[in-house]
Amino acid sequence: MRRSWMALFLLLLGACTGPVRSTSVYESKAGATAETVASAVETARLAVQAAQDGDAYGRYLTQLLADAEKDADAAQGTFEGIQPPDRRADQLRDQLDELLGQATDTLTELRTLARRGRFAELAEPAAPLAGLAEELHAFAEAHA
Amino acid sequence: MKRLFAVALGILTAIGGFVDIGDIVANTETGARFGMSLAWVVVVGVVGICLFAEMAGRVATVSKRATFDLVRERLGARVALVNLVASLFITFLTLAAEIGGVALAIELATSVNYLLWVPIVAFCVWLVIWRVKFDLMENVFGLLGLALVVTAVALWRLDPDWGGLLHGATHPAVPQGEGHPSWWYFAIALLGAAMTPYEVFFFSSGAVEEGWSRADLVTNRLNVYIGFPLGGLLSLSLMAGATLFLEPRGIQPGHLSQVALPTALTLGKLGLAVLLVGFFAATFGAALETGLSCGYTIAQYFGFQWGKFVRPADAPRFHLVALVSIVLGAGLVLTTLDPITVTEYSIVLSAAALPLTYFPILVVANDPDYMGDKVNSRFSNALGSVYLLLLLVVAVATIPLMVLTKAGS
Repeated sequence: MRRSWMALFLLLLGACTGPVRSTSVYESKAGATAETVASAVETARLAVQAAQDGDAYGRYLTQLLADAEKDADAAQGTFEGIQPPDRRADQLRDQLDELLGQATDTLTELRTLARRGRFAELAEPAAPLAGLAEELHAFAEAHA
Repeated sequence: MKRLFAVALGILTAIGGFVDIGDIVANTETGARFGMSLAWVVVVGVVGICLFAEMAGRVATVSKRATFDLVRERLGARVALVNLVASLFITFLTLAAEIGGVALAIELATSVNYLLWVPIVAFCVWLVIWRVKFDLMENVFGLLGLALVVTAVALWRLDPDWGGLLHGATHPAVPQGEGHPSWWYFAIALLGAAMTPYEVFFFSSGAVEEGWSRADLVTNRLNVYIGFPLGGLLSLSLMAGATLFLEPRGIQPGHLSQVALPTALTLGKLGLAVLLVGFFAATFGAALETGLSCGYTIAQYFGFQWGKFVRPADAPRFHLVALVSIVLGAGLVLTTLDPITVTEYSIVLSAAALPLTYFPILVVANDPDYMGDKVNSRFSNALGSVYLLLLLVVAVATIPLMVLTKAGS
């Protein structure tokens, strides 16, 4: 009887313990973040392509770019709220932070230009997006 | 000639009315993530909705009473109450998702935040339910919903590798990097989107609203067996567009703006404009149907006078329920809960509740006291029983899969 109570106590104690903070979990979250931001970057690339080809209305493009920026910002904010558990995680964070920063800055610039109706000027700030998307995809794949 | 026109109109509105925000979101998300590997679920869902919608329409036509009206009488108040609570909850969530969907569609055309549109949309939905005649309402939004055919036109214009798409659809396999639980979770979402319970409530109540007689049974079958599968093709077009444009780029569509990308990039501004009209009509039409369905289910369970075939003053409680549902649905979206997320949950939870909706229909459609010589054929019963078994398995698996996959994320 005592043993069963003890087993139940340990089980409940285990249930009360917080989520395990391991590097592998942190790494998978970093990978997922990179994937989400890559999605936003790819969306912005298509938006710029549509603007250049005259395939879409300005209001739609503005919304598309605003949505992409919102997704990237949200993913970056969530990831930054996670505590890196060790030094290796610190390195991972630094590596991803740089990519996320570039992505969100570029997306903000694109959204600003779109809101001002300067669609012809989107191509220049969008130039680094192709390389950025590639790096984010590679990061996501390496840390899935 | 008049009859032919009625049949054609019925089929067209069934096509245009088939797709709603759930289908738009589920098919695009699935295509972007799993390619065409889950296209078979759309086929399963379309066959299922055809089977049960035809039954519900037949029950309503022969008995002159809507399905839910008979459920309480045939299965008893307690069983019917469980059915009512589950169905009403799902229909309400769907209503909120549709109101959000209309607001998002307008946001795409205006770039004005969707939250500002929500109260206006809710008011317009209520106004149409209150003032516009049933057949006019059904025909206008059903026909406008046909604008979504533009997704199929975009696909055709793109001239993709049809063999590759067909191969992906006929050789279902979990793509690399994805897990089986997520794949099955999305399969359930697609099934829930195709077989949403409100479609049956609306269809059977609509048969009573329009005063169908036995002579209309052929029209009922043609509407369902031709209109719904063609509507299902629009769902597959959305999935294929996402497979071709979004999946290779790793785009995870969480916004209506991303859903429109394949059509915009293929057909340009005109295609985009037609698509936005289609989004608006599909979601607004579905908001009307779900708003009415909330009123139908409650009124039919409690035995209130219901329907738009009587003056609003003669069915006050029915209209009050519809109004309160619309206000609460708009309120839910105004909490800033993402309408796409509400949609995702509504279709998955609706999959979990499907047996509660479809079991009573099968029971009533087999009861000679109500149906006379129009009871189900052996084939309908066999297929209906197989589907119920399938829906039962889906209902049991939904919540564990939702937890396991963190809602498919």
